This record gives sequence, C-alpha cells and structure tokens, in this order.
Amino acid sequence: MGRRQSLLKRLTGLPIELGERIGLLDHVPAGLPEGAKPPKHTFRWDLDKTYLRTEFDSLADLAKSAIETAADKQAYPGATALLRALKQEDHRICIVSGSPTQMRQVLAAKLALDGVAYDEFVLKNNLKNILKGRFRALRAQVPYKLPAMMRSRIGAAAASETLFGDDAEADAIIYCLYADLLAERVSLADLERVLIATRAYEDDSERILDLARRVPKGDAVNRIFIHLDRRSPPLGFSRFGPRLVPVYNYFQAAMVLYEDRVLSARQVIYVALEMLDSGQYELGHLATSVQDIIRRGRVTRETALQLVAEANDAAISGVLSGRDDLPPFEQIAEAFRARVRELGTMTPPPPEPIEPLDYVRLVDEEHENRRDRRKKGMA
Amino acid sequence: MHRIVVDAMGGDHAPDEIVQGAAEASLALNQAEIILVGDAAVLGRILPKLRHDGARVRVHHAPTYVEMDEKPAEALAAKPECSIAIAADLVARGEGDAMVSAGNTGASVLACARRWTLLEGVRRAALAAVYPTELRRGEKDDPFSLILDVGATVDVTAEDLVGFAVMGSAYAKLVSSNRRPRVALLSNGTEAGKGPKEIVAAHAALVETTELNFIGNIEGLDIPRGVADVVVTSGFVGNVVLKMLEGVSDTVVRLARYAHKERLAWRLGLIALSSAIDQLKSVTDWQQYGGAPLLGFTHPFIKAHGRSNARAVTNAIKVAHKALAGNLCGNIARTMAELDDRAGKRSRAPSASDATSG
Repeated sequence: MGRRQSLLKRLTGLPIELGERIGLLDHVPAGLPEGAKPPKHTFRWDLDKTYLRTEFDSLADLAKSAIETAADKQAYPGATALLRALKQEDHRICIVSGSPTQMRQVLAAKLALDGVAYDEFVLKNNLKNILKGRFRALRAQVPYKLPAMMRSRIGAAAASETLFGDDAEADAIIYCLYADLLAERVSLADLERVLIATRAYEDDSERILDLARRVPKGDAVNRIFIHLDRRSPPLGFSRFGPRLVPVYNYFQAAMVLYEDRVLSARQVIYVALEMLDSGQYELGHLATSVQDIIRRGRVTRETALQLVAEANDAAISGVLSGRDDLPPFEQIAEAFRARVRELGTMTPPPPEPIEPLDYVRLVDEEHENRRDRRKKGMA
Repeated sequence: MHRIVVDAMGGDHAPDEIVQGAAEASLALNQAEIILVGDAAVLGRILPKLRHDGARVRVHHAPTYVEMDEKPAEALAAKPECSIAIAADLVARGEGDAMVSAGNTGASVLACARRWTLLEGVRRAALAAVYPTELRRGEKDDPFSLILDVGATVDVTAEDLVGFAVMGSAYAKLVSSNRRPRVALLSNGTEAGKGPKEIVAAHAALVETTELNFIGNIEGLDIPRGVADVVVTSGFVGNVVLKMLEGVSDTVVRLARYAHKERLAWRLGLIALSSAIDQLKSVTDWQQYGGAPLLGFTHPFIKAHGRSNARAVTNAIKVAHKALAGNLCGNIARTMAELDDRAGKRSRAPSASDATSG
C-alpha cells in the first residue's frame, strides 16, 4: 500500500518536476517534514559571486556562464569547506540564487561535485517573467529574493540565521530588510513603500506583503556576510551596522563565525587549508586577512590569539597530519601572532552610531549605481 | 609572492595618497603583498574607505615619521621608530623584499645605507633619477633616460662609476624593456681623454666591457636630447645637473605663464599649441614612471617623488615589483662578478712586457 502511494506520488510529481526544470512552474521548497524539529540555525547562501566565481559583467560573460559545465564552474577558495562545516544535523542550508531555473541541473551538479549538501535550492524563474511580459522582474532583486527567503522561513523557521551574499548586487539591502522585517523593525507600511521603490509588480507586492504577515517573527538574523567580490570599500557597508560583515575571503568569515561560536578552530583550519590548496592564497595572505579583520574591528585580537592557541591543539591532535607542504604549526602560529603584534597598540575605530535604515533611499541609490555600472558597461 | 614595504607616512600627500596608491596596487598586482608602515590607527581609518584587497595589504605600526624638511641624520637619530627606519628594518630582517618611499630622500637613503648590505662587487650605492628626453627608447618607447648617481655618493672613483654603469644598464634593461641600453659617462667633452682622472679611467674600463653598450662620453646638452639611455656621473655632479634641469623646466613653465598673461597674440599661440603641450605633458609625465631607484643594495628601493599622488605611488610599487620579478639585484651582482672575474684574469695574465722581461 505504502509502495503504491509512493509510486503515485512520484508519478504525479513528474510533471511538476518537468515544469520546474523548463521554468514553467516555480520551485517551492518542501520545508520541514511534518513533526520534524525546527532547525537551530539556517544559513542562507547566494550563489553567483558568493559561492561561485561568476562573471556576468558583459553579455559574453553571461553566455559563457550559461554554457559552462559543472566541472568548469569554480567555487571561491574556502567556500566549499565553509559550507560543509556549516552543514550539521540541526543546521539548514538554503541557497537562493538569481540564476535562471534552467541552470538548476548544472548548478546542482556543481554542488554535488563539491560535496555540498543543501536543504533548499531556489532559482529565479525568468522564463515565466518573459512569458508574462514582466521584463522589469528580470533584473529585480528585492521582489525576487525577499519573498523567496520568507517562504523558506515559513517552511522551516530557525532560531538563528546567517546570510551570505556579495557586493555585486543588492544583497546587503535585501538581507538587512529581511532581518529587520523578522525583528519587526520594519513595518508592513514601510515594506510597501520599499516595494514601490523597487518597482515591484502589484500582484507580486501583495504576495510579498502577505508573506511578511505570515513569516515567523523574531530577531533571528545575527550575522550577514558580504563577500567583497568587487573589492568594494568595506566602509561603504558600515551604515548597515555591526551585524553585517564585509569579508575579502572565507577565512575572514570563518574567523567571525569562530568568534560567534558557530565554528570550531578545527573547522576554521579546514577552510584555511582549502584556500591554501587552491593556490590562490599563501599563509601570508591568511595572516594578513586576520590582521585586516581585526583592524576593522570585526574580530578582536583576543579571539585571533585564542584561535591560534586552539588551532595549535587541533594541529597536535593531527588535523594537519600528512601536510608536509606546510611549515611546522608553531611557525605558522608565530607568523599569525606577529601579524597581530604589527598593529602595535592600535584600537579599531568605534562603530558608527546605528540609525534605522532608510530602505527606500537605499533602493533608489542601488538603482542609480546599477544604471551607472550599465552605462560603464559593467552590467 | 613579493613583499613590498611602503613608507606610508612619507611624502607631501602622505598618508592618504600613499595608502590609495598602495590600495590600487594591491588590486593590480596578484603576486605581491604590500606592507604599509606608519601609524596603524591612521592607516586603519583610511584603508576601509578604499577599494583594495584586504588579504594583500597589511599594516605595520610605526609611531613617528620624518618630515620632508628635516635633516636626515638628526631626524633618524631622534626618531629611531620612524616609519622609514622601520620600513628599512623590515627589509633588512627579511620580512620585506623591496621598499618604496615618497618621503625625505636623504633620510630614506640613509636608512637603507645603515641597514642594508651592498651587493657583492658593488662598492657604493647610487641613486638614480629619470629625465624626459627627445629620443625614445626600448620596446615601450620610454621617453625617460636614467641619470645616476644624483646624490648618494658624492666622491666617486673610476670603479664606482663602472659599478653605476652596470647598475643603471641593468635597471634600464628591466624597466624600459630596453635590450641594450646606451650607457654614457657625463663629461666636459666627448673625447676619451676629457674630464677628471676618474672619468678618464672609468672610460678606459668601460670601453673594455662587452656586457654594456657603452657609447663613450656625452656632454650636458646631450642629456635632454636623449643621446644616452643611462647617464653615469658622480653624486655631486648628478645632483647639480638634476637640479639645473628641473630649474630650466620650471623657468620654461613660468615664461609660458608670463606669455599667456602678457599678450593676446602669445596667448593665442599657446592655445594653438595646447594639444601638443598636453601630449608632451602626458609623454613626460613623471607620475607614470613612479619613482627612481636606489641601486647597489641587495634589495631594490624605489624613491617616489615627494609630490607623488596615488597614481605615482601605484606606479612606484609596480616598478618595485618589476625589479623583484626581473631579479634586478641578482642581475647586477652577476654582471659585477663577471667584470671582477675578467679584471682578475687580466691582472693575473702575464703581460707581453712580463713575458719578454723573463
């Protein structure tokens, strides 16, 4: 009986799967199975320019990205190790990407190749937008990502959330808006004004407002990472408050997560090793990354020194066994300590006073920046 | 990875322009790490405002710095922890590979001289300067010729001048992509016997070398023409020449300004020439060159102009990176060793008179 039901479910599911694959239907994440315990921590990841090194600054880049195979696609050094470290029993990994649904197969294959497990994977249904003549929605970020994240939270609400995005698009704005909505620092009326500023279609706005009413509330988002893919000045993100940390690489993100007690020293080492193995980073770069994040006041010296001490214990317990390519750990640890000492007695500048974010203004500014970039041929 | 130490507090526009130049260099040079030496709190406030690569720019705290108008020896004695001294120390200790500064020239040279070691075979260091000339050189049509020494070694011997020729030639080869730079001695006549005894002796030695493209002596008027790519002279003469050339350039600019104000016809003439003047300015823009090297030590030091802006600093860092990538110091040492070897063989070989007298 059970077998027959499962077969029936699979058969009825086939047209939906096909519809999703060709982009005629929206993929709705399954959420938690009935009776399942809610996750403790949800990690939401963007894909392009956050996990995957993607160029879409020109049409040629877009075309190249579309025809690339899974094996051609490159993850940023350390991102895979970090995602694997974050995938624990009571953690949930949700990927929300602006890539079109037609790329699901190749992107899923890439994640499988990297050994990255995830719970949700949402892509943008641009075919539906084209068929409906909704050309504004093709580039729209807020009206796509915000409801996708809220829908996911309605399906499985965690006590804590950490979000990963990049500096290429409006991730900082969307993530902060999402966080402030959950924390009820942004009212429905404010959200409506923001949606008007984003030029969201009316029916989309109504759906988003409905989701905002239903989404489980709480001050759940305690960390937002913005990967500085464009190497944007980090100070430009200070207005978003200390919750948002711009990072140059995933070793810095791992350091912050270590301070937040999300990752252990051993897991930080795995991120570091992946970065070293990529050939794009040397030990000196990692030590300098530590100094940078301390200088910006995002991690304390004490945390950095504690990490070095704990990493030493991990190294003794054999985490670096077989790594004859690396110098003895004591030498590495001393290089990291020296980098911290190089700062002398400097104290990082105190964080600027936090003012409530004016999302309408932020959205307008982002549109203007995007227009400027397009004029300069930077997409 | 090449580690380039930058004195972040030296220069008329320090630290803002220096840090900005370093930030831009960090994006342009994948294989380099830039170490900014200066007040960590100040640098820590500037860096986050700029596009840069946080994994490739680091800060090393220095509590003080030498002002542009301070007396070098006194300033270094009074401020042992000044940025230029700490920067030179880092290189001496092997924590950096090259140094760049737009600060006080005397203090920078002295800081290097006190901490760094000379290359084997090199007796004295030489500070070089670049000067725009009529003729271009190298694969990149470089409009700049190199003059050395311009102040590091006041009294020179013939051997020093030969060393300067080797160092200048190696630098021009690398930075101007000039396969065989024309090397000349600055004298008061083109004939081999003209000039003081050290010039005459250096001429005799350089004529014998096959490693260099030595074209003989040149006179002062040949410098702006660009007859030679590398002009070799003593620090005393080089400094006088450089200051005079700068003075002439300034006077020409002042005269043009005067003409612009004085008569409508002259003004119109200048306007008609403006595009040509602009082109000339862009060709001879010293900011694109970045800086001039202090040669002879085991590490390269690029002295950027005191008025350097961010672009000039970026270019100075790029020149330092090029010097490291092209193994400038190694090339100088190798050529010096070859010359020494040949000179040794020559002195050991029995001369014809020895043979006959035996």
